[in-house]
Amino acid sequence: MAKLTLPDSERMYSGHAACPGCGPALAMRLLLKGLGPKTIVSIPACCWTVIATPYPTTALGVATFDNPIEATGASISGLRAAADALGLEGVQVVGFAGDGGTADIGLQSLSGMLERRTDAIYVMYDNEGYMNTGIQRSGATPRGAWTTTTPVGGSARGKPEAKKDIMGIVLAHRPVYAATVNPAFPEDFVRKVERAAERKGPRFFHVFAPCPPGWKFDSDQTIELGRLATDSGIFPLYEVDEGRYRVTRKGGALKPVAEYVRAQGRFRHFTESDIAALQAEVGARWEALLRAERETAAPEAVPVAAH
Amino acid sequence: MDRTERTMIEIRFHGRGGQGAVVASELLAQAAFLDGKESQSFPFFGVERRGAPVTAFARIDDRPIRLRTSIDAPGVVVVLDPGLLRTTPVTEGIRSGGLLLVNTAADPASLPAPAGVRRAAVDATRIAVAHGLGSVTTPIVNTAVLGALAAATGVVGRTALEAAVDRFVPAFHAENRAAVDDGFAAVRFAPADAPAPAPVVPVPAALPPWPEGPVASIPSRALRTAAWRTLTPVVHTERCTRCNFCWKFCPDDAIGFDAEGYPVIRLDYCKGCGICATECPPKTIEMVAVAEAPA
Repeated sequence: MAKLTLPDSERMYSGHAACPGCGPALAMRLLLKGLGPKTIVSIPACCWTVIATPYPTTALGVATFDNPIEATGASISGLRAAADALGLEGVQVVGFAGDGGTADIGLQSLSGMLERRTDAIYVMYDNEGYMNTGIQRSGATPRGAWTTTTPVGGSARGKPEAKKDIMGIVLAHRPVYAATVNPAFPEDFVRKVERAAERKGPRFFHVFAPCPPGWKFDSDQTIELGRLATDSGIFPLYEVDEGRYRVTRKGGALKPVAEYVRAQGRFRHFTESDIAALQAEVGARWEALLRAERETAAPEAVPVAAH
Repeated sequence: MDRTERTMIEIRFHGRGGQGAVVASELLAQAAFLDGKESQSFPFFGVERRGAPVTAFARIDDRPIRLRTSIDAPGVVVVLDPGLLRTTPVTEGIRSGGLLLVNTAADPASLPAPAGVRRAAVDATRIAVAHGLGSVTTPIVNTAVLGALAAATGVVGRTALEAAVDRFVPAFHAENRAAVDDGFAAVRFAPADAPAPAPVVPVPAALPPWPEGPVASIPSRALRTAAWRTLTPVVHTERCTRCNFCWKFCPDDAIGFDAEGYPVIRLDYCKGCGICATECPPKTIEMVAVAEAPA
């Protein structure tokens, strides 16, 4: 038998209620591969509440806690305090929330958890909208994307506003570890989770989580789309460890974003100039990321302010 | 007292998430209302994920409808996806003398149903594709099926259906009206004396005893998601390099290995997303229609 490139432990069970080809489902499976059995996962109202727990069943082989949509950060602070008060050793506390429950509704409790230095891992699986309730726009929906609340037709051209920069918000809190991961790169995903699991303090993951019905693509394209997102610079893979940036996938020149855009029905109305604008934005963000990596590469490379 | 028997018509729709079964029940109720009838429609509140079996209900009567329950003894059962006949007991509870209407190109005499149930078929998929409704892989068949339902039962008039399409369907009005017309003209019936194959028997849920208290503790492996599948992966191991790409990318953990390390699809759980076939480097996995897959 060929050597497996990922741990063979499975703590996400089959029989769950995710759509065929669900990016968030694969994200949970990979996340739990990187964590031990003594894990508590706190899930707010989101797709994953429905996926995991049609009563009396559970799709998770670890302790699971359901919490209100705005409370993931607070709930993991409380779970950590409870585990410590009970003297439980080696418990990993994890919040697993969607982009709406993180970047919009749960932002205050995420900020509080990071500011309190809660020893926990917060995971935002980003399917770029309120998908569980039927594809409404969120702060994390990209500019121009069609959703049911940002329609396309007449003068309406999808979401007018830009995607909220959750990594920027989180990094401003100086977490001990933060990283972007993408299920299309499972080895990188699990390696980062294992690395985060060894650390103490607030840790954060931004997960690229394609949604076939919400983004309008065929369910077999989830991985292919993930690859395009990273290799075009739409969703670069990097980690920030104690403030030091490291880009974990550099494939030479970025692919044009057009291929990623054209693969999805939610961008069907994009014109050449829409794509050119996105290309410019993605290029600028990629350059900024490489600059951050250079500037934080080694302690002596950090420029000392002149007085 | 059974006042429901005389004038009320109860219709149950079976489809898959994304096919338009819920909208079909709503359109039917709206059309009946435009016809001057009392009507109601509502879906079964469950997991309406794409591909998952979905149930919706409609009642039509000349008198006010006071029932608010789901429909256990339908007079008419409408099936939008013929694959459901193999996995879901769609005719469960259907009244004697009732009608089963299925979207299929097959001979209506081949449709499984209890004795005493009339059977009809309409190739709504072909009609939907011909009018550009939905895509070729996921055609939206509901308006063509409703046209056939109107022809087969007379519960609602074709004109009212077309008016409902114009008022309540957001787009493609002309195409949907044409689909209603084509469905109306294309309904086929099984001869009354043609014997019907037996319908699938509902498999009792194999859940272990429920846990005490509010903690969900039964692994979801007790739930079989095979009924969601419209395409089945078939592994041709002669070209397989045992690279395990299929295994690592499966969102349903529905791929295991045999003793020699070749992938084995766990068909109780596979939802047929097709990721394994697309990601397989030597292309040894083929997605085939469920009806043509080896048992």
